[in-house]
Amino acid sequence: MGHTESQKKTIDSCALLRLTKDRPQVIQSLTRATTKSLDSYEKEMILAEALYTERSRLRNQKFKFTQISTLPRRWRDQKMWGSIHSGLLKSSGEVDRTDLLERVIKYYGDEIAGRFSPRVYDFATSAVPYGFNWLLNAASVKRFLPWKLTKNLESSLFIEGEVETLRKLEKKGTVLLVPTHQSNIDSILIGYLIYLMGLPPFAYGAGLNLFSNPILSFFMGNLGAYTVDRLKSNLIYKTTLKNYSMEILKRGTHSIFFPGGGRSRSGAIESQLKLGLLGTGLKAQIENYKREAQNPNIYIVPMVTSYHFVLEARSLIENYLIQEGKHRFVRVSDDSGPAMIQVFRFFWKFFSSQSNFTVRIGRPLDVFGNSVDEEGRSLDLQGRPIDPKKWLTTLGKLDHNLQRDEEYTKRLGEVLVDRFYEENVVLSSHWVAFSYLRALRKKYPDLDLYRFLRLSKNQTTIPFERFSEQARAVLLLLKRKEGEGKLHLSEAMRTQSFESLVQTGLKRLGNFHGVSVVEKQGELIWSGQMNLLYYYRNRLSGYGLSVKADQGHRFLRPGEKDEQGFLA
Amino acid sequence: MSKDFWRNETIAVMGGGAWGSVLVHLASAHVKEVRLWVRSEDIAREMNSTHQNSKYLPGLELRNNVRAFSEMSQLFDSPIRAILWVLPSRATRGRAKEMASFMTGEELIIHATKGVEEGTLKRVSTVLLEELPCLRVGALSGPNLAKEIADGEPAATVIASSYEEVIEAGTHILSSEKFSVFGGRDLIGVEWAGALKNILAIASGALDAIGMGRNVRALLISRGIAEMVRFGEAMGAQRETFLGLAGVGDLLATCSSDLSRNYRVGYRLGKNEKLTSIIRDIQSTAEGVRTTKYVWEYARERGILMPITHGVYQMIMGEASVEQVLDSLTESHFKSRLYEWKPA
Repeated sequence: MGHTESQKKTIDSCALLRLTKDRPQVIQSLTRATTKSLDSYEKEMILAEALYTERSRLRNQKFKFTQISTLPRRWRDQKMWGSIHSGLLKSSGEVDRTDLLERVIKYYGDEIAGRFSPRVYDFATSAVPYGFNWLLNAASVKRFLPWKLTKNLESSLFIEGEVETLRKLEKKGTVLLVPTHQSNIDSILIGYLIYLMGLPPFAYGAGLNLFSNPILSFFMGNLGAYTVDRLKSNLIYKTTLKNYSMEILKRGTHSIFFPGGGRSRSGAIESQLKLGLLGTGLKAQIENYKREAQNPNIYIVPMVTSYHFVLEARSLIENYLIQEGKHRFVRVSDDSGPAMIQVFRFFWKFFSSQSNFTVRIGRPLDVFGNSVDEEGRSLDLQGRPIDPKKWLTTLGKLDHNLQRDEEYTKRLGEVLVDRFYEENVVLSSHWVAFSYLRALRKKYPDLDLYRFLRLSKNQTTIPFERFSEQARAVLLLLKRKEGEGKLHLSEAMRTQSFESLVQTGLKRLGNFHGVSVVEKQGELIWSGQMNLLYYYRNRLSGYGLSVKADQGHRFLRPGEKDEQGFLA
Repeated sequence: MSKDFWRNETIAVMGGGAWGSVLVHLASAHVKEVRLWVRSEDIAREMNSTHQNSKYLPGLELRNNVRAFSEMSQLFDSPIRAILWVLPSRATRGRAKEMASFMTGEELIIHATKGVEEGTLKRVSTVLLEELPCLRVGALSGPNLAKEIADGEPAATVIASSYEEVIEAGTHILSSEKFSVFGGRDLIGVEWAGALKNILAIASGALDAIGMGRNVRALLISRGIAEMVRFGEAMGAQRETFLGLAGVGDLLATCSSDLSRNYRVGYRLGKNEKLTSIIRDIQSTAEGVRTTKYVWEYARERGILMPITHGVYQMIMGEASVEQVLDSLTESHFKSRLYEWKPA
């Protein structure tokens, strides 16, 4: 599958390629900007903090044989911090602290900055559909023939929403694509979607841990990924990372990052966002205005992915419950088999069930959280075009203002959370999980979450009719919410009969996990996987649909919990 | 730097009531020009020729750099950097809609309206944010009886905003030797404190009308504050705000002063006058009357205990006299219910 002429042209002129060519200058400019950002701090102190945290990290990081390829990086790190240590032991007259700081920033910059190779991109975009399609069609021998391979991936991907606006805005400014994050598969999927939509490649932040796999490291390192190491918590690193994100946006490189940080552990849509990186869009736009750039605007484009099942659901929800519940959460032993078998089962079921992904591109926002029209103009709440420059002017001068800009970014974060909820596409499996748990809570109204999750299979068995009653009520509420623009229902949810929806929902609800999350036999329905049930149910939390909201309790915002500890 | 900046700038004040005129006077000492918007062309003309607001605040001499307008287009014919909004809550949305097209988005806005929007219960800053092309909004509130400040007595106020530059601007524009401005970040709390205390001012006036002493007033103020905090917290405010100038401070001033319009309404209600005739006689707006209705209806729906507000509501609606309300309060709510309560 080769690229068309226009795709080749897009790649040849893409900002990511220019960024790679200018890599030394980018790092130089990053070093300058970061040194300036850290100007108000005492250099000795922030260097000492970095040295301390980095040495702790290196000491505490357990080495695994599978990470053998990371050894050279580890040695480099040790050597680097050894030399910083020696430098700090000497007086500032002998070793200038600014020089030391610049060395650290440059070192970090070199680690963070990604590269882009058109040849690797060409190979990857050709290989991905083959790989996906092989898996998609693996269960069907008939469609296993080579000439059938390229067709089906696209038909399994539902891309909805503001695709056209995204295509237009990409030419009018720089796009910062901000997806919800459920699974590690998101990165590959989104990368490929960008290609399918005919957009130039985007830069994206990827966890440094993913680079320990040499193959992944090769691909990511050459496809525009820049590294993000969550284990590095020192100020110099965090500032360098933020400035890198700003630098590439300034240079017109479209970027992706997951504003929720990592994957959603509870299964709910993100309600707490990492504002630090999100704010780099605003910073870049201010810089663009100051240097009178031709296309100064940064557009924030929300994206929501919806899956019937998530490979990592079991470990994610357990981590969430351990952290939230502490002693109240009792871990049940995992009987779903070895990890490799789980992964294999996942991929097999994921693709062989002809399941589909739904991806919705949300209405774009400007760096303040205002809606943006197709022309790239910011609109106020009344739909009137506004001039963002005016919002950035303080005492008659357009410039950064730390406190003001933090507030603007906070507002952007709030609007973005609302958008995530509004753009979410509700699948039948989410609805089944939510309705069943609601029915069960009616039976056990006083149980707190952790006691509730320990209900035995017998205790969770209820007449199907009782589930059905709740499912009908929830469906009605969902349809009303869709009418109010609060969410979207999948095509199936809109068109299929109630019975067939229940059947599909039950079948698809996390069914790769080895055991069904919710089972029905005759007139009875039960769950033997309460943690997973809670995980999939949480996808519909935050909409005011819970049993408590139904009983007239006060409306809780996304991420808030009711008295029994359930996400509202 | 900031002070020098404002010295060369023009600001607008929306609303020429007593409080609006005081703010105009305070600001005119620190900026190049103050443009005052008033509803009537006659008032504008009179103010421009006499430099007085004879209708609402006679005796206060306005400086020469104050100009009154009744046309919005004229008000904005030169760049306006900041706007002080002193219109009643009822007029806020309409006037904001009218004004929006003249604005650039760069303006900083501070409102001094102690009320909420009719029906929606939206705070004034929310209405302004919805209608104007601006984001940097703040609220000014505190024990600020207009006449006392106009007479040059010392006073203080709070400006709350999420944006420090709004607080800074307000401080530079309004501070004087006698008038101190404090800053705060709890915009929700300051706005709700300003709105809710009006209800208690009505209650206070009513109690004075039937000759109640200081014990009852102290009871009203302390239980009133608890009521304000309960409601405020339900709306997202911080408890501490109600203990500051915008809460207790404003409450003490308005509950004991016949300069407060709301107090006067309460006093006359206590004398068994009809609300309609009281409203007709009082030339300016008593925000507390409307606020009482909406707040009580909201609190009743959500089970927020507000017995005093309920009592004031009954008086306003003509459902009970002040004596009956007082009897019912002392019988059912002020007995052994200092810190705990159960919905009736």
